[in-house]
Amino acid sequence: MTQFLDEIEAAVPALRRYARALTRDVDRADDLVQDCLERAIRKRGLWRPTGPLQAWLFRLLLNIHRNDARSKRRRGGDHIPLDGMGFEPSTPAPQPGHIALAELGRALEQLAPEQREALLLVVVEGTSYADAASILGIPAGTLMSRLGRARAALRTLTGNAEEPRLRTVK
Amino acid sequence: MSAGETDRREFEVTEETLHAFVDGQLDAARRAAVEVWLAQHPDKSVEVAQWQRQNAALATMFGPVAAEPVPARLDPHRIAAKLAVVRWDWTRLAAAAVLLVFLSAGGGWVMRGVLWTEEAANDRLIDGAVAAHALYVKESRHAVEVTADDRAHLVTWLSNRLGRAIDTPNLGPQGFTLVGGRLLPPLAETGTGPAAQLMYQNATANRVTVYITAAGVDHGKPYELAKQKGLEAYYWANDQITCTVVGDLPEAEMKLVASGVYQQLTWRPDPGGRS
Repeated sequence: MTQFLDEIEAAVPALRRYARALTRDVDRADDLVQDCLERAIRKRGLWRPTGPLQAWLFRLLLNIHRNDARSKRRRGGDHIPLDGMGFEPSTPAPQPGHIALAELGRALEQLAPEQREALLLVVVEGTSYADAASILGIPAGTLMSRLGRARAALRTLTGNAEEPRLRTVK
Repeated sequence: MSAGETDRREFEVTEETLHAFVDGQLDAARRAAVEVWLAQHPDKSVEVAQWQRQNAALATMFGPVAAEPVPARLDPHRIAAKLAVVRWDWTRLAAAAVLLVFLSAGGGWVMRGVLWTEEAANDRLIDGAVAAHALYVKESRHAVEVTADDRAHLVTWLSNRLGRAIDTPNLGPQGFTLVGGRLLPPLAETGTGPAAQLMYQNATANRVTVYITAAGVDHGKPYELAKQKGLEAYYWANDQITCTVVGDLPEAEMKLVASGVYQQLTWRPDPGGRS
């Protein structure tokens, strides 16, 4: 049990990062991680020590996040982009090319949820394609097409596509 | 374009290859090959550079989160300790809920105990159980009033004095044998009447005690885990009795013992069918 908890503890920083990227809200992200950890600890009987623990934790986290999002939609609750909320760079941002961070944050909000999940898992978490596909429960080809669509959408939304700027109709 | 086609035959660069390039998922040789290919495909090269900037921006935005100090509420050890009480009872409460459906029909039980939230009585009972444990486990000759040799008498006597039909749980599977038991005076402001203390001992002379009272009007929380003076106490109450198991065994062993007691004692309906 202690070893199991130590391993979970090692995954917490990455889970927080992914949750923050998904929600862009410090408190909501940590609530999400807390739910995930509680569920993991309750369910530990279902975890086979041979499988990668971190992937299992990410799957749990995503499930909770999707359910939250679903119930929020049902309630008609907030899915208004949370401008400015939650994102405060904790270090002075170095020059990330031409993309303004705030603009990118808003663009992320507008991605389809499944594209955002895939992109952030691969880019922010550095997850291999094979692992990302397994965490998301999709075939490798689907993962690649979600990545492709996410990147194309971000280019358009951040005005970095070289074709004439498209107005977003959302 | 014709140059590109020649290259593509040597090393086919697909859309997927370009993503893998940007995401650092290619080995050195293929990465070098893609760089060569990109040099010959300026249109794709622009797109790939933009993907790279997106990646860098995302890393800038969220990378630092992993270096932030983790708040205490996200410490898995802490969560596990908190859940230990609840989880342990959850499984049993689920079983108990099923049981209660039967019992409430036959034995007139109600779910009241499970929903109670008042804390005072259970805290006092746990304190009483811990104090009695500390006092008597040290005794060798006077550890109990009535020894296990006279178990039938012990059971009748304690049941009569508590006004509840209790039995001595069999903790053989957990490695414990009954030493005996004693009657203890009522605790103030618990409304529970006198208490029975049962003492058990394992092969290494480690002792646990089970502290039982009739349920009062407010018997406090339906269950609680408390740690005091190096002792662990597991407490439950139902409509009939309150029960506190006290010992200083390792947590896992303590749980086995406590769940043995719980299963045998706490959900046993009163044969008198009182309601």
